[in-house]
Amino acid sequence: MLARLRSAGLRLGSAFWSFFGFPADQTDERWNEGIERPWMVSWHAVPKRSAGTGFSPSDYARARERGERVAQLTLGDEVWNQLRRRGYVEVPSRLFEGLTYRLRIGRRVQLIWDTPAHALRSPWPFEWLCVNPTYPLPAAEFTAQLYLYLRDREEDVVRIAAPQPFDQALGRCF
Amino acid sequence: MGRIIVANRHGDQVLEWDPAATDTEEARAQIAAAEQILREARERGCAVSKKVDGRHVIDNSPFDPRAEEYQIIAPIAGG
Repeated sequence: MLARLRSAGLRLGSAFWSFFGFPADQTDERWNEGIERPWMVSWHAVPKRSAGTGFSPSDYARARERGERVAQLTLGDEVWNQLRRRGYVEVPSRLFEGLTYRLRIGRRVQLIWDTPAHALRSPWPFEWLCVNPTYPLPAAEFTAQLYLYLRDREEDVVRIAAPQPFDQALGRCF
Repeated sequence: MGRIIVANRHGDQVLEWDPAATDTEEARAQIAAAEQILREARERGCAVSKKVDGRHVIDNSPFDPRAEEYQIIAPIAGG
C-alpha cells in the first residue's frame, strides 16, 4: 500500500516538474523503489552518531547487524575474521614508506610508523586521522569502506583526512 | 543475478537484476535502474566497488550488467 502511494507520489511529482519544463526521469522507478539513496540528502542537521529521526532501537540493532554482514562481504572472510579477532585491521601505505594504517570499528585511523625516522617524515602533525562518511552508516560497514579507500584510493584519504591528536568515536557512524 | 548493495543507514538495501534476461522490457528496466543508481551515486561523489575474483575493489569503469556484485561506497569527509 505504501509502495503504491509512493509510486503515485513520484508520478505526480514528475508530472508537476514536467509542467514547469524540468525533464522527468525516464528510467522506470519500479526497480529502485524503497531504496534509500543517502547521497541525495543533506545530513548536516542530523546529530552525531545518530541515523536521524524515526530510527528506533530495533532499527539501530537491525542496521548494525546488516552492516556487519555487508562488512564481511566487503572485506572477505580472512580480513573480517582478523578484524573480529584482533579488534583492528591494518593497511600498509603505498604512498609513505614505513607507514601502516590501523583501522578499528567506528574509531579514527591510527598511523603506525615502522621507525621514529619514518615518523619524522609524516605529512601529518598527529598520529590519528579523522575520516567520516558524509551520511550515517553502521560503524562496521564504514570500517570496511574505509579499508577499500585506503587500499585502493589512498590518495583520496590523504587529501581529505583531518589529523587529530587523539582517538575518538567517529561522528557519522553509529 | 547481479546486484548492487546500497550501503546506507539501514545497513544495506539491495537492487538486483538478471543479466541473462535482456529480452523482456521488465528485465531491461531492471538493468537500466541499476545503471542509473550507480551513475547517480558516482555523480554525487560516491565511490563504487565491484566484486572481482571474489573480492571487492574500488572500480571506475562503466556499469557492467554481467558483474556479480557492486557496492556503493559513501563519500568521505575529514573531521
